Formats: sequence, C-alpha cells, structure tokens
Amino acid sequence: MNSVYWLAASLVPMLGATVTLREGAAIGVCAIVMVSLHQVLLAPLRQRLANWAYVLASLLLLAALASCLQLALRAWLLPLAIALGHYPALLCLPCLAYDHLLPDQGRWRLLVRHLGAVLGICLLLGASRQGLAELTGLHLASLAPGALLLLGLLLALYNRLRPGPAHPRRQGKL
Amino acid sequence: MNRLARDAGLLLLTGALAVSATLTWRHWTSTAIVSAEKQLQSRQRLAVLPEGSYDNQPLDSPLPRPAAQRPNSRILAAYRATRAGEPTAIILITQAQGYVGPIVLSIAIAADGRLIGSQVVEQQESPGLGARLGAPQVHWLEQFDNRQLGDHWALKRDQGDFDQLAGATVTSRAVITALQEALSYFDEQRSTLLEVTPHE
Repeated sequence: MNSVYWLAASLVPMLGATVTLREGAAIGVCAIVMVSLHQVLLAPLRQRLANWAYVLASLLLLAALASCLQLALRAWLLPLAIALGHYPALLCLPCLAYDHLLPDQGRWRLLVRHLGAVLGICLLLGASRQGLAELTGLHLASLAPGALLLLGLLLALYNRLRPGPAHPRRQGKL
Repeated sequence: MNRLARDAGLLLLTGALAVSATLTWRHWTSTAIVSAEKQLQSRQRLAVLPEGSYDNQPLDSPLPRPAAQRPNSRILAAYRATRAGEPTAIILITQAQGYVGPIVLSIAIAADGRLIGSQVVEQQESPGLGARLGAPQVHWLEQFDNRQLGDHWALKRDQGDFDQLAGATVTSRAVITALQEALSYFDEQRSTLLEVTPHE
C-alpha cells in the first residue's frame, strides 16, 4: 500500500479536526465507521461489476454514507458537529484511497491495523494539541499549521524512541 | 451487451438503495435535528443571563421589533426575561459586519440600561485573531459588562474606554459599535421593550 496517497488523503481531516481530544476521538471514530462501512458495502460488488460501474457505485455509496454521518452528528452531537465542520465529509477521500490501495490478499487485516493507527494518531494529536494550548498557552497548537508541525515532532520522537534502525519509510524516504 | 445491461442494472439498484437509505435516515433524524438546533440556540442566546435571574421562557415569546434599525448593526430579535412578572432583562440578538463575515451577538440589558453581559452566537473571524473574541480564556467581552450608554464606547486607541483584541482591530471596532448601538436601541425603545402584558 503506497503511503504517499494514503497520507495525502487522510492528512486534511486529521489535522483540521483534532483541536481537542474530544474532536480527535470523534473524527477518528468517524473515519473508522466510514471506511469500514464503505468496504463492507463494496465487498459484494467488487467481483460482480465492471471497473467503470464499480467506481460509480463506490461514489454513490460514499455520498450516502457521508450524508448519513453528517445527519447523525447533527442530530445527536450538534455542538461537536459544528466544531468539526465539513471535515467528516472530507473522510470520503481516505475511503477512496483505501479502496484503491488495499491489496486483495490480507485486505481486512491491513485495514484493521491502519484504522487502529489512524484512531491512535487522532487521539494523540487531539490530546497533545489540547494540552499544549490549555496548559502551556501555546496558541499555535490549536491552529492547523501547528498541528502539522506537531505531527512532524511526534514522528521524530517516535523514531528517536524506537530501538533499532528506522525503516526507510519512517525516515521520510518513500 | 448482456454484461453491460447487468452492470447497469446492478448500478441502478445500488443507487436506488443508497438514495432511499439516505432519505429514510434523513426522515428518521429530522425531529432530533430540529430539537437539537432549538436547544443549542436557546442555550447560546440565554447564556448571557445569570442563572436564576428569570423564571419565564424568554425565547418562546419574541418581542415585536420596531423598524428603526441602527446604521452599523441589525437587531435580529428581542426577548424579555421576567421574574415573578417583573421584567429583569431584555435580550437583543444583533448582527454586525466583522472582518470576514457577520458576527451575531446576544446582549442582555438590565431594566436600568446597564449591559448585563454579551456572548458570541455566530462568527467567522480569522482563526487565532478575531475568532478569539468569544474564547473563555481571553475574557475580552467581559470588559463591557455593567457598562452603560454614557461610557466612551471606543477602543483606547480611538480615545475610548476599552482594550482591543490583539491583532483584530476591525473585529473589535465592529463589536464595540454593535454593543453601543444595542444600548441606544434599548434606550430608544425602552417603553415598548419593558412593557409587561397584564395577567388575566
């Protein structure tokens, strides 16, 4: 699975909607729900449809899923839905990227691992941004550019703490 | 040809299912959305009043708004809060033009013309600058509490009484003007706004 495309598709909701821990948890859970429902619904169609029809069906299902997700957020978590803005709808991009990039072999295991990582990163980003903004008064942390810097710092910290030589992927070489 | 027809049929079926599921879901959530929006609106608009300072449901009976509007802001709605039948405060919802878009404020004014408090209901100002006007840790709007129409309603740099929000002069000026105009609106419409309908 090529991580460049995956990263490009997932980065926007991940940076934009993780201002607080609550928002980070919400966008992480939304990502899990959207991607897995999309994959589950597409599974019976994958063998049966020609390529062009499959892409169209995938887009139709995504539109329905994104609308239902927005409606559900507005109905039961309205203040959170307002804080998240349009980012839940942008989760359609990672859904398309996952569908395109996941290999046929071992598809579900890889999906579960990736979604777990996404939730973890969202929670970590949300917690550290909220902590930095509230405890240290570092206002930059609550803005999107600060989130990008913080993500880089977290990656560097992870590489530093993890024993053994870093995989080329983690050194920024793709 | 056969293959094409089958693909198209399956695609149509998927589309029909997706659309009908979305419509059903929308129908099913619509009442919850309406009540959530109403609840949020009343919480935002009534947050300016101290707890226990009123015992009616101010939002259920909006007051008629006389046509006389202010030059730089627009009064969107007016409500009366009462306790034991006596008016304790008037809540004005006013809209002013900020730096990016409209700023909607909820302003509570006591019967003696004193500003009780103000809250941001809606704004789209620049993140990190103007958008901080309602941030709880900044306490910027609190400097206007207990002020009256007679004070100098301007920023200190404009020879007034008030601090500006750092890096957001346009937003600060817009809010100050809106508050002042709300107070002058109250002053002008005082008798209409405070008039209590007699109980049967």
